[in-house]
Amino acid sequence: MTEDILRVHDLSTRYFTQDGQVNAVSNLDLRIERGEVFGIVGESGSGKSVTARSIMDLIEPPGEITGGEIKYRNGEFAETVADEHPNAVNGEFVNLLELPPNVRQSLRGTSFSMIFQDPESSFNPTLTVGEQLAEAVEVQRRASARPRSTRARTQSEEYSLGNFLLSTVLPSQKYITEESRERAIELLELVGIPDPVERADEYPHEYSGGMLQRAMIAQALAGEPDVLVADEPTTALDVTIQAQVLDLLDELQEETGMTILLITHNLGVIARMCDRVGVMYAGEIVERGSLEDVFDEQVHPYTQGLLGSVPDLEGATRRLQPIPGNVPSLLDHEMDDRCYFADRCPKAMEDCLEHPPEFEVPGSDDHEVRCVLAEMEYAESRAVPDDHFSETSRTAADKHADPDRTEDDVQPQRAEQPVDDSGGDRL
Amino acid sequence: MSRRSGRPLVQVEDLQKYFWENDSILDRLFGDDPVPVRAVDGVSFDIHEGETLGLVGESGCGKSTTGETLLRLQEPTDGHVTFDGHEVYDLGGDELTAFRREAQVVFQDPFSSLDPRMTIGETIRQPLEVHDIGTDDERRERVRDLVERVGLSPDQLDRYPHEFSGGQRQRIGIARALALEPEFIVLDEPTSALDVSVQAQVLNLLDDLQDEFNLTYLLISHDLSVIRHVCDRVAVMYLGEIVEIGLVDELFENPDHPYTQALLESVPRASTDERDRDRETLAGDVPSPRDPPSGCRFRTRCPMVIPPEDLELEQETYRELMSLRERIERRDISLESVGDDGQFDADDGSVPDEDVPAFIAAVKERLLDVPLPPRHDAIVEEALAELAAENWEAAAERLRTEYESVCERESPDLGEQAHPVACHLHGTASERTAEPDSWT
Ligand code: SF4
Ligand code: SF4
Repeated sequence: MTEDILRVHDLSTRYFTQDGQVNAVSNLDLRIERGEVFGIVGESGSGKSVTARSIMDLIEPPGEITGGEIKYRNGEFAETVADEHPNAVNGEFVNLLELPPNVRQSLRGTSFSMIFQDPESSFNPTLTVGEQLAEAVEVQRRASARPRSTRARTQSEEYSLGNFLLSTVLPSQKYITEESRERAIELLELVGIPDPVERADEYPHEYSGGMLQRAMIAQALAGEPDVLVADEPTTALDVTIQAQVLDLLDELQEETGMTILLITHNLGVIARMCDRVGVMYAGEIVERGSLEDVFDEQVHPYTQGLLGSVPDLEGATRRLQPIPGNVPSLLDHEMDDRCYFADRCPKAMEDCLEHPPEFEVPGSDDHEVRCVLAEMEYAESRAVPDDHFSETSRTAADKHADPDRTEDDVQPQRAEQPVDDSGGDRL
Repeated sequence: MSRRSGRPLVQVEDLQKYFWENDSILDRLFGDDPVPVRAVDGVSFDIHEGETLGLVGESGCGKSTTGETLLRLQEPTDGHVTFDGHEVYDLGGDELTAFRREAQVVFQDPFSSLDPRMTIGETIRQPLEVHDIGTDDERRERVRDLVERVGLSPDQLDRYPHEFSGGQRQRIGIARALALEPEFIVLDEPTSALDVSVQAQVLNLLDDLQDEFNLTYLLISHDLSVIRHVCDRVAVMYLGEIVEIGLVDELFENPDHPYTQALLESVPRASTDERDRDRETLAGDVPSPRDPPSGCRFRTRCPMVIPPEDLELEQETYRELMSLRERIERRDISLESVGDDGQFDADDGSVPDEDVPAFIAAVKERLLDVPLPPRHDAIVEEALAELAAENWEAAAERLRTEYESVCERESPDLGEQAHPVACHLHGTASERTAEPDSWT
């Protein structure tokens, strides 16, 4: 019954840096069903944020999507673009990478929306939150009144620098219509902002961190997107506020039936939210399946290591089982054609020195793993000698892993300002 | 092992650290009174030799300021800290130098706490030079031992911090903190910037070092799982105060303070049962430390805030009424925007008499989610009628007479029992009040 809304096939995203080509995402396949919450979990430099940004068309130089397909299912949209871009269309699916940038951009907000770790980046500090939400509503409204292909122009004008400057000089540029203002207030109410009528007239800095996060969600929902991409949406929040925001996303998903792609480093957040999960390592999904497949029946030693590293909130104190070593280099010329985890893997064998394909794991429909252990038992006789990787692993300080600070996932939360403004002065 | 048996290594007594706003010369010229920000407001705890005490809480609760102030990296506003029997804030000269040697700190951010122009060998050697310890050869030897001990290779001593990963830099920070053979280390969010697999390596390392060198730790963290894993005892902080302190297992398995309970419930577990877990999410934000609530500081969010006796109201409804009161007291409702545009406008700001009932209905609709029993409905309507005339004081007063809680009148203290909890539901005040479990 459930159908795929998004199919990513063979996606590769590279960064061309001074040090060389960085393989941030490599030959990635991904399938997301309509109405599900799909989680991607991984550590810094795993490529999870770059994957999200690739889908959103937010990759900037020196980054580039170098290959693959991102196919979005939307019959109506397929029809609209079929004439001008026949190559992009296949039945109800449209390969977004075959579309010109302006058409792709036209999907932003209406088909795909994104929320980030840091809500400040989504708001203009000089306009009230209500004005900005109304603006988003307005854009969406005009967009749906026009044919797709001309949409992008209006939008990019809307967000142009000139317009931005104008709006700071002329703060009187008010809600475009009373209708969109009302919708803005509705949206604030929808995301649980107390007293939305007043809050709409406040500026972003008057919001507490948790409230601004909610407002950003409201903004992302203004265009009633099919897919919400949430990149570390709660990482900067305190745990009680994180719980509020996760509850909110959960409720919204249930009410609207939208699809969520959730990117996070936090396994607890994954367990709280997701139906299916992909574990990323070195630009690949190394294990995927239902939440149960990955959390209870995992095959990949990296997945095991990740779960074994999390201190248990409930349990007795056991010694943690960390993964030895460091994040691998993603520089093309330093990546051997082997399992990228082999240098840290306690079960690395000769068989792992060839890059493993994805194997299906028996016992579940959807469980796949990029590890030879799906097909064979670990045999000590075949183990690679301990010093096999010593040459490469010594250089593996993670300075190369994150060429562009694209992977800001584990943000150093500044421990605490002596004077903390984020707490908010209101209830 | 303790040289003077029984006495805690560190004793913190009623420590206060305020920051002052509007305190510049200009402000004083214009007669603005300085406003205290009560970052740390009277905390007391002991740390025994060889143990790890955890200090946990959300941002702005004062945990890091507590750590820095007790190390005398910041001057206290008031209170005492003794280290090994000596009053830390009275130390001077050699004694202060000795304290600086015995008590070290490891900060959260390995990216900014190391000097980028110094090799890691120099970085680790620096404290030995400052304190003039050992000959050149001895220092070199010591530095090599230390890097090896924290799991790095002595070949790397002449490299610079940028050549290391986050986890490696944190190891370097730890080696540096160990250089002077301290007794006591404040670990301020030591793994918050690290990936979970690397965090596990560093936590294990800290654990080993503690055993090996008989170290005493104060671990400051917002991460409850880390706290549970590492600590022997835990103190939970909220808005500058400690609300509960106890043995780690006791506190995690039977948290007594409603805030501790909420905090623990909020953490998403990395397990497939997580979606079905019953959880109660705390509403609202942390109030400002500039103007903390009277009485119990958690009362503005506490789901169990204690109603006056014989008030027959569901706890949830009472909670809503208290939140309504709070907003009226803080004048945090914009009356102009009630109703449709300009519906209730009058020249002097108050609502014309004939519109008052409609105004009341509109405010109620906006601010209360639950229906009220008739008696309480009447009380709330009386109060809102005062609001219609812009009598904030009177509106607040009407509600206060009816609903004032012991939680706002009296500040609960930690008490002397074995597992101290600052909440009126526990300890001496609890006889007056309902059973804590009656709230569901
Ligand atoms: S393929 Fe081999 S090295 Fe890679 S994770 Fe599996 S067992 Fe380990
Ligand atoms: S004293 Fe009152 S408000 Fe404070 S935690 Fe206890 S019950 Fe809640």
